[in-house]
Amino acid sequence: MFRRVLIANRGEVAVRIAATLRAMGVSVAALYSDADRGARHVRDADVAAYLGPSPAPESYLDLNAVLDAAERVGADALHPGYGFLSENPDFAEACRARGIAFIGPSPSAMRAMADKVEAKARVSRAGVPTLPGLALAGEDEASLRAAAEAVGFPLVIKPSAGGGGKGMHVVEDLEGLARTVPVAAREARAAFGDPRLFVERFLGRTRHVEVQVLGDAYGHLVHLGERECTLQRRHQKVIEESPTTGLAPGLREALLNSALEAARAVDYESLGTVEFLVPVEGGDEYYFIEMNTRLQVEHPVTECVTGLDLVEEQVRVAAGEPLRLSQADVTLTGHAIEARLYAEDPGRTFLPTSGRVTHVQFPQRPGVRVDSWIERGTEVSTHYDPLLAKVVAHGSDRAEALGRLEASLRATRVAGLTTNLAYLRRLLARPEVVEGRLDTGLLDRVTDEVVREAAAGADRPLAAVVYALALGERPAAPGADPVWAAMGAWRPGGVVESVVRVVAGGAELEVSVRGSADDAEVSVRAPGEDEPLFGPRRVRTRLEPAGEGATGHLVEVDGFSRHAVTVWGPAGCEVWIDGEVTLVASVAPGARGRASREPGSAADLVSPLPGTVAELRCGAGDAVREGDVLLVVEAMKMEYPIVAPGDARVGAVLVAPGDPVASGARLVELEPLEGSAEP
Amino acid sequence: MADPTRPERPAPAARVGRPLLDASPEVAANREANLALAADLRARLASARRGGPDEARRRHLERGKLLPRERVERLLDPGTAFLELAPLAATGLYDDEVPGAGIITGVGRIAGRTCVVVANDATVKGGTYYPMTVKKHLRAQEVAMTNRLACVYLVDSGGAFLPRQDEVFPDRDHFGRIFFNQARLSGVGVAQIAGVLGSCTAGGAYVPAMSDEVVIVREQGTIFLGGPPLVRAATGEVVTAEELGGAELHATRSGVVDHLADDDAEALATIRAIVATLPEDPAPAWSREPSEPPAFDPEELYGVVPARTRTRYDVREVIARLVDRSELLEFKPDYGTTLVTGFARLHGHPVGLVANNGVLFSESALKGAHFVELCDRRRVPLVFLQNISGFMVGREYEAEGIAKHGAKMVTAVACANVPKLTVVIGGSFGAGNYSMCGRAYSPRFLWMWPNARISVMGGDQAASVLSTVRRDALERRATPWSPEEEAAYQESIRVQFDEQGEPYYSTARLWDDGVIDPVETRTVLGLALAACAGAPIEPTAYGVFRM
Repeated sequence: MFRRVLIANRGEVAVRIAATLRAMGVSVAALYSDADRGARHVRDADVAAYLGPSPAPESYLDLNAVLDAAERVGADALHPGYGFLSENPDFAEACRARGIAFIGPSPSAMRAMADKVEAKARVSRAGVPTLPGLALAGEDEASLRAAAEAVGFPLVIKPSAGGGGKGMHVVEDLEGLARTVPVAAREARAAFGDPRLFVERFLGRTRHVEVQVLGDAYGHLVHLGERECTLQRRHQKVIEESPTTGLAPGLREALLNSALEAARAVDYESLGTVEFLVPVEGGDEYYFIEMNTRLQVEHPVTECVTGLDLVEEQVRVAAGEPLRLSQADVTLTGHAIEARLYAEDPGRTFLPTSGRVTHVQFPQRPGVRVDSWIERGTEVSTHYDPLLAKVVAHGSDRAEALGRLEASLRATRVAGLTTNLAYLRRLLARPEVVEGRLDTGLLDRVTDEVVREAAAGADRPLAAVVYALALGERPAAPGADPVWAAMGAWRPGGVVESVVRVVAGGAELEVSVRGSADDAEVSVRAPGEDEPLFGPRRVRTRLEPAGEGATGHLVEVDGFSRHAVTVWGPAGCEVWIDGEVTLVASVAPGARGRASREPGSAADLVSPLPGTVAELRCGAGDAVREGDVLLVVEAMKMEYPIVAPGDARVGAVLVAPGDPVASGARLVELEPLEGSAEP
Repeated sequence: MADPTRPERPAPAARVGRPLLDASPEVAANREANLALAADLRARLASARRGGPDEARRRHLERGKLLPRERVERLLDPGTAFLELAPLAATGLYDDEVPGAGIITGVGRIAGRTCVVVANDATVKGGTYYPMTVKKHLRAQEVAMTNRLACVYLVDSGGAFLPRQDEVFPDRDHFGRIFFNQARLSGVGVAQIAGVLGSCTAGGAYVPAMSDEVVIVREQGTIFLGGPPLVRAATGEVVTAEELGGAELHATRSGVVDHLADDDAEALATIRAIVATLPEDPAPAWSREPSEPPAFDPEELYGVVPARTRTRYDVREVIARLVDRSELLEFKPDYGTTLVTGFARLHGHPVGLVANNGVLFSESALKGAHFVELCDRRRVPLVFLQNISGFMVGREYEAEGIAKHGAKMVTAVACANVPKLTVVIGGSFGAGNYSMCGRAYSPRFLWMWPNARISVMGGDQAASVLSTVRRDALERRATPWSPEEEAAYQESIRVQFDEQGEPYYSTARLWDDGVIDPVETRTVLGLALAACAGAPIEPTAYGVFRM
């Protein structure tokens, strides 16, 4: 066995691999960039080597830096994790050249599978069904006809240089093919600088099913069951499960066998995944797509149902041990489902988000596993993959696993940055998902609706109530005496009503509170409205533990208790109720007052100090945008750009270059733009 | 709740108090009388809280201004207490036309910081300063100084009330003292922040000008030394108020203010933002534990306190309804028993209680002096519960030196620098007032219960003493004085003393910081301790104790 393994990765996978290595009694070495100094995976390691600046090409993707680090920490083996250098055959080769074992398949197997065209040819020769497709030789009729014959209709035209679904066209017949190819070529050239096209059989609605395989250096090879990874959003897997459900009879066995054949075709001797597309209405059809020659993100679902530690098996075979199990030893128990928690904002087209984690809470309960790397204080940057955690639930059947996963996500809290948590929960509740009617296009069809539901899910008035009652609990200076808030808004002679003005989830609300947090009469209104959105009702709260950085509140409204958690941050207070989060902050009335002052809508611009007009950059009648420099005044050896305070039209220009101007002298007249509907 | 990080409480503090016998006729009579007093207090507070006449309030609102109480509400952290000072000031004075003396003052929390708020009520005589307005404003500044609390002034005032200029302008503790205080407060690091929400005329202009940071409301706040009429009279210049001292002028040209706001709400939000830049409240000068309620409901005080001031009762029954867990570690419980002294916690703060339980004897005074020294040395704030008819009189007592023993307690009380809080829960007569930290002894705060009475001696004693003196004088001149005349004379003295001994007579004149409902005493003391807790405690130098 190895003495010390360098994990050439970061984040949750590095943490997860380290856990197995530690359990195996193998010393753990880690790597870090500037952004990861002190990160969880570094702390989990016995030693760690600094790689370089935060951007991945200058750190985790820098092959030589990683190899040098491996030597520096004295590692005799290297685990690449997934992503980064994990599927780079040159890297695997370079490791071997330096006498460091690469925990993965042989460079030749990697190379064979890395070239998608060669991979297809190899497995096809081994009898594995592959998707008919070929590169278009030209735009002439003969080429098109040859392609149509080889592939069959319907077919999809793809740019050879492309990826990610960009520039794809589906055509039904030869005429459509002839009509679309010139368009697609133009698009391919525009998007990728390469007009070459590739045609492939179009399968319509498909499922993505993959098979986990494991081999050793002695020719042993087993499969560890399959995974359903059909729920993808724009080709990014979101929910994965094992085993599959509702495959046509015999299809599952055929898939498993084909996976073994595919692996055998490249003499595979490590952990790997063979991916297939399965047409939803294709009977017993299935097609090989590619083989991933590494540990997969979604490996925990296989671990749950097989009871195996895949990383341990992967390390053992890499160390030259023979497989410890035969195919007959592999049994799948129950059903497991994984949800990927990402730092991304569903409300803003799933753009990656960043920020400091102010509080994090994952459920710890039977049948639930969480692989994560974040903790309170973790700075999540956009330098790397936005995966924060994988929440995996295992149950005796699919329904139980789904129920556990949904409940676990409801009990999960990540505060300080926006995540896809609410989206995931809504997604799991979709009838198509519950009933297992899945295809790879499902998420792209329903995501807008799911995002809307998730955005509207939180009970804003209740969040505002919790916020108003929690104000007194806000972390305060050591001198801050709780007695000030102990009775609510006490005045000599009794407690008066106190109005808290807030913005809750973007909506302005007024919370009227009479009493203190442990017993108050509360109502919530929109400003200027008489009809309350909440109450007036009796609300009593009691504090309860909620983990580091957060305060738990047991909130009783009219004899009905529920849990709320508040997390204070610079932007306000995150109020978590029943898995939904609402950002609540007190209103600064000043903001509205200032906004009403329409900066410079028709104001004239004046010189800030006595000087000379150095430059004139606008003329009468020009339409100018906010921030445009209209002229420059020079004074005391400094240049002062005079900037348009808002979109406007220039009226009279009152000065010329070289003119001396006094402080406060009018320079340019601005008029409001007529008809502001311009884009 | 047990806190594993704290050692177990070592002190065998004993629970004091006995369950109230609800069925007893005395208790019922006490309840009835005290509830009536509390209801009367609440009615007076509600009336004063309304501020000026409806017409003035309507005009105020029409100008787009918030009423002064609403301003204070929006300034304070929502859901937090406001320890208002002397809300019934000027009651019965100035034809009763100046409720609250036309100014709201108190201690509250703004952006998490404990601050003193001073807000003019322009609906009361234009917010002008009557003598009691000045006194109340200065008292608020005194609270700020002794407790090191930042000051926020919400200015909306026409300045001194001119018909009474001789009572508000020239003397040491008159109008000018406000600005003297601002300078000195700022000098010791107590922030001075002003919001100009209306007029600041003449001397009033100095409130913002003397402040560290100032906000003004556009087309509403004005600041000038001389208003347009005065300018016209003096120089003939004709100018509008806005041109002379409006917000734009002061924000862009004169530099008298630092921030512009569009309305009251924005100005108050800006002040909150300014306060948020001040240092946070320091940790208390003593250890504070989590607050725990008394074992006996404070509401029972209505049944505990006798309807008649002259009825003696055990003051421990009051203490039992004020302090945490009703626990008191008594000091010298068996010596000088007419004074109860001991350590307790109140809303988590340590306190040393000094409570009258009868007339003061030499031993009681010695015990009191000793205990006050203990608390001062240990930095334990003192709470005096005054119910004192005075020191014992008579040949025996004079001979044993009760005067010098009383003097020792007065010396200890006068010199102790630890925070002192006084509540007059019954009588406050004669030298007892001094030894029990009356107003002259500068307790940080002093309140009265509605049943309390305060005067140099009781009305009966005064009537008797004065008529004796008078009869002697008349007899020397051989002038006859009929028993009827004497009775009438005695009655007039009694009436005068009774009227002047009333708590509302006292609070109208700022002899105290307010009349409080007995049931709210625990709250008031808790807030006051919080307000006192951040100020550094100066080392104490005692005067010569006469031995």
